[in-house]
Amino acid sequence: MTKPKLKFDPVAQEYFDNPYEIYKRMRDEAPIYYDEDEDFYALTRHEDVAAALKDTDSFSSSRGCDLSMVRTGEVPQRSIIFMDPPDHRHMRSLLNKAFTPRAIQSQHATVVELVEHYLSKVDPDNFDVVQDFSGPFPVEVITRMAGVPEDFRQQVRHWIDTSLQREPGQIDLSETAMQANIDSAVYYYGLVQERRENPQDDMINRLIAAEIPGEHGELRKLDDIEITGFLTLLGGAGAETVTKLVGSAVVEFARHPEQWQKLLDDRSKIPDAVEELLRYVGPVQYNVRYSIKDVELPSGTVPANKPVFLMGAAANRDPRAFDNAETFDIERDRSQAQNLGLGYGIHSCLGAALARMESAIALDHLLDFMPRYEVDFDGLERVHMQNVAGYHHVPVKVLR
Amino acid sequence: MTQKVVVDFGLCESNGVCMGIIPEVFDLDDEDYLHILQDEVTPENEHQIREAVRQCPRQAISIADE
Repeated sequence: MTKPKLKFDPVAQEYFDNPYEIYKRMRDEAPIYYDEDEDFYALTRHEDVAAALKDTDSFSSSRGCDLSMVRTGEVPQRSIIFMDPPDHRHMRSLLNKAFTPRAIQSQHATVVELVEHYLSKVDPDNFDVVQDFSGPFPVEVITRMAGVPEDFRQQVRHWIDTSLQREPGQIDLSETAMQANIDSAVYYYGLVQERRENPQDDMINRLIAAEIPGEHGELRKLDDIEITGFLTLLGGAGAETVTKLVGSAVVEFARHPEQWQKLLDDRSKIPDAVEELLRYVGPVQYNVRYSIKDVELPSGTVPANKPVFLMGAAANRDPRAFDNAETFDIERDRSQAQNLGLGYGIHSCLGAALARMESAIALDHLLDFMPRYEVDFDGLERVHMQNVAGYHHVPVKVLR
Repeated sequence: MTQKVVVDFGLCESNGVCMGIIPEVFDLDDEDYLHILQDEVTPENEHQIREAVRQCPRQAISIADE
């Protein structure tokens, strides 16, 4: 019997339902995958993805980071995720000191307060971990840090959800998704204008005051569009990612109760559990780059001028890099290979320390709140989104 | 020929992974500045330094020939 032809379709219903099946086939059968229909490449083995993430000279972000953007060939808005060195370095240096593991400790009490607040409101007999808990709390943390007024903090999350949404078969943004992008940009733009008038001590004002080297080396300020882009990115990256990681965590621990028991017995294993979740069910599936030249990788050659999917989520389950890669094991030897769940190299997650802290605090409180629980697996609903995966609905009942 | 640890401070974001692997070589101070306490790569520390190079999420550490 011959296998069906290997086809990776980033917007197929079956891919949204289970990305890991196709990843295995791609790693084994086509490590340098080429899609004739859509004219792109995809890397799935750990050594190839890690090498490509490090090699910004060959794999450029400057045309965008999703297939729809990269293949238009248009220059995207000036956002840090669409930059190569040296521009990227200048932008990143404006905020990175606010996100170091030490600096992020100042958010610890806020995260605890929000986690306790949202958990206190749920019905233990029947609640939705994503809608009632892991959706609302991370967006509050990042938008507070950024300086978004309270009334609009949850709205930020809805804009992001809508803008990332893709119907099966649809690579480009829908009109609804486009509109959500426009609405959030208009909102942030107005907020920047307002902060210029009435400064506060938040990231918006830090960005307003910041200076970066311009085209000819002279220092210049950021314009309102650049600041708007930065804020949009922070809101997006800081909200829906932890939302999905925590939602997937509850599902995986329900499937592997012995792993949950290990955490109940020893809370010091929580940080390792967060790392394993990032490896096993990390929300970010891939980032798209554009090859500026022919590139030799361990598994073969990627030709110049193509969109290339760097599939970190596939690499994170590569048995060539991790023993028993398809097994969820919070006690695994983490030094075996680099976990790509938060990226690697210059574009690696700016908020990594915040994401880890939020996830660890959430798990710690969930262990208290629901030492024994069951997930209604029939009620699980996965998201259909560009480059992130996870659940939209995770119905849970706490057992007593 | 000796080998030395080099850190690109423009890339470093004080994640402290290197310090976790080999605190005798890498130290983060209270202000989040990374200090290299001993920059020479020796047979004793080489394995751990290479591990720090690999695990740095920013790819900010390298080993250079002097």
